[in-house]
Amino acid sequence: MASVSSGSDDVELNMMPMLDIFSILITFLLMSFSTDPVTYAANAGMELPESITIQALDEEPAIVVTKKELKINGKPVTVIENGDVPLKDQAQGAIFPVFKELEKLMEANKRAMRRVQTDLDKVKAGTITMEMDANHRFKLMKRIMLSAQQAEFVNFKLMVAKGDS
Amino acid sequence: MSGKKKKKKLEIKYSDIALNIIPFIDVFSMLTTFLLMTAVFTALGIIEVQIPFLTTAPPEKKDTERSLDVKVDMEKDWVEVTAAFTMPPINENKKKFMTNVKTWDKDLHKFMVEVKKMDPTANSVQLFTEDDVILKNITKTLDAVKLRLNTDQQFPVKAGASPGQIAEAREFLFKKVVMASVIL
Repeated sequence: MASVSSGSDDVELNMMPMLDIFSILITFLLMSFSTDPVTYAANAGMELPESITIQALDEEPAIVVTKKELKINGKPVTVIENGDVPLKDQAQGAIFPVFKELEKLMEANKRAMRRVQTDLDKVKAGTITMEMDANHRFKLMKRIMLSAQQAEFVNFKLMVAKGDS
Repeated sequence: MSGKKKKKKLEIKYSDIALNIIPFIDVFSMLTTFLLMTAVFTALGIIEVQIPFLTTAPPEKKDTERSLDVKVDMEKDWVEVTAAFTMPPINENKKKFMTNVKTWDKDLHKFMVEVKKMDPTANSVQLFTEDDVILKNITKTLDAVKLRLNTDQQFPVKAGASPGQIAEAREFLFKKVVMASVIL
């Protein structure tokens, strides 16, 4: 009859494979550690367009256009139906609720920039970052840009996922 | 005799040594947890574009000087580049790229390098886009038009350029892209 050895003193956990895995994991994580000024997680379910640009994201996007809705500074402004905004929100090719929100944002920017006189800061006041799903058509993008133009935003930073060249 | 004694002593010494790896594992665990929590697996970037706007400012001197005018037309299935000087000799250079060709963006970029050779000081492109073009393709076009790759030649900058302008010339082919279709 086989007997179970009671010599528990001989049992030893081999830590080496675990340390190997830890070392490899830490090496990988340290190599991919981001030192970008802004750490921002793209919206779930959104496919960002890929680009080989080396310009890093320097501010969180103010305009976010997911597959189903359009948000400004986290506030839902309108919905997206069949790749466009509803007719009731459209005005002269632009999107009225977007224009109203961006107008408020520009007012806030202007108040903050009142004391600043440099050209660089003036350009910054008219710059806005936009995160948009890669499959949206230019028709929608044009409406948003037009709304922004009327609120005096003329420089756009399109958020992209950095890919390989 | 003395050699044997020494050997015996050493053997005893080594058998007693045990490396305590628990603190090492603790540090590794903490470091792994921190790095996993702060990891951003998708590197995010930006592409800058401009839209035209109405201004009461007087027109730039450029209108009276011979300069290179570069226009990129984007339709759903093709992209066409037209480069021509604003004054004679116009030397128009035009090419069309079908987006169903796998390497269309690379071919477009090669052509943009040729366009840049026509006037290395040219820095601006007007992009006309049709409504049904998707953002994915617009981004590809912007990459091909705007960015200078490491394999591309270095173009000279204007005399007296600032360090910032020199850095821009290293990074961009045509820095300023105006989305000309966005007009009121």
